Amino acid sequence: MTNFAQAAEDHLDDVYGYLAWFTGDREVAEDLAAETFERALRLWHRFDPDRGSARTWLCQLARTVALDHFRSEKRRLRREQLVAPLDRIDAQFADSFTPELEAALRRLTAGEREVVALRVLLDLDASTAARVLGISPTNCTTRLNRALHKLEEALHVAA
Amino acid sequence: MSQRDVLAELRTAHVAAPPQLRQRVRLIAVADDTSPRRLITWRRSVALLVPVAAAVAAAVVLTRPAVHHPQPLSVQHGEAAHANTAPAPKAFALPSTKARAQKYSATLSLRVPGQPQLSDAVKHALRITSSLGGYLSSTHVSTSSAQLVLKVPRTKVQVAITRLSALGTITSEQVAIQDQQSGINANSRTIQRLQRELKTATTKQQIATLTARIEQLQRANANTVRADRYATLRLNFTTPTPAAKHHSHGPLHGIGVAFKWIGIGSLYALAFGVPLVLLVLAARLLRKRRIDSMLSRF
Repeated sequence: MTNFAQAAEDHLDDVYGYLAWFTGDREVAEDLAAETFERALRLWHRFDPDRGSARTWLCQLARTVALDHFRSEKRRLRREQLVAPLDRIDAQFADSFTPELEAALRRLTAGEREVVALRVLLDLDASTAARVLGISPTNCTTRLNRALHKLEEALHVAA
Repeated sequence: MSQRDVLAELRTAHVAAPPQLRQRVRLIAVADDTSPRRLITWRRSVALLVPVAAAVAAAVVLTRPAVHHPQPLSVQHGEAAHANTAPAPKAFALPSTKARAQKYSATLSLRVPGQPQLSDAVKHALRITSSLGGYLSSTHVSTSSAQLVLKVPRTKVQVAITRLSALGTITSEQVAIQDQQSGINANSRTIQRLQRELKTATTKQQIATLTARIEQLQRANANTVRADRYATLRLNFTTPTPAAKHHSHGPLHGIGVAFKWIGIGSLYALAFGVPLVLLVLAARLLRKRRIDSMLSRF
């Protein structure tokens, strides 16, 4: 088993979970995860373990793939002249969540869900998550707090 | 529900990849034949060749020798035309024709080894001039140079130049001969015509005018012939200028030069690098903002 195959086996759940929360669509996340690993295979020679873990590197690739997806979605929406963003999140984020929390998560934007996925679901520390997002750790923490506050508010309203 | 409770509930989540995705990724991993990748791709080649080509072009432009224009040929003996080690050139003296009236002038520049020799050379030059029947017209002598204007009988000008040129090393020489016989001939023809008119003149006034004109022309011719009996020799003596003292560089000169070029390089790097860095930073900021804006819509 090559290093790449081992890394793919070890981190598939992380990449898939991150993409599922980021896109809010498990089917899309499946396709994007597959595309991420195809791209990772092509670029595996560039991976340097000294600069970061394979999980971080794969998450960075996954984010690039997801951003490409969002761009194409944006173009598609523009073509279809849909001014208002579609409420297309109908997938379940996690089996253990209450319906209120699921609904609150659906109200977050993709950027907010992304930071929650990295910091909470994948349990990355602030600096690693910030590196994946291409922002400063402080900014990453601020975004997380904002997202959590939004969730708290939504749950409070629902209660 | 507090934020802490929200966080605690979120942490209970576990998202597992579906089996079909795991199978797809395993197939992808199996396709990893680990074939060695080509080190030389067209992108790498371009990335390497473009800067190299630019550097070569810059080097060619910067190291191209300056265009040398051909020097015009000089008709005089010049110091630049003769190396110091070359034998001293012999003075040349154009022969003058005794039968014709000619204005003969020559300039001779000589270099003498030092100040004592300069004084001796001036004395010798005056002696030579006197011995040939000539005289000193004007002189200007300083500690390092001397300029003499000599009048030498035209018939002996070649001898004078030959003997004077032996007083030092010739650095330049000019000879000019201006023929004045045609002017004298024209005056003579005018005189003859006026004399014929004088024979037929009737009034005293006509006779006086013609006579005065004839005498004037005869005097002019006589002056020209008298002046042309002597050639004008301008003799310039110079002593070698002391060579400029070679200024040796100190031990820190190399460091100074290095700092100078480092400073120039830094200046160029700042001039070109700062706008480039600002541009890149602005592009990155704009890209981040666009991504954030896009993600806020999904």
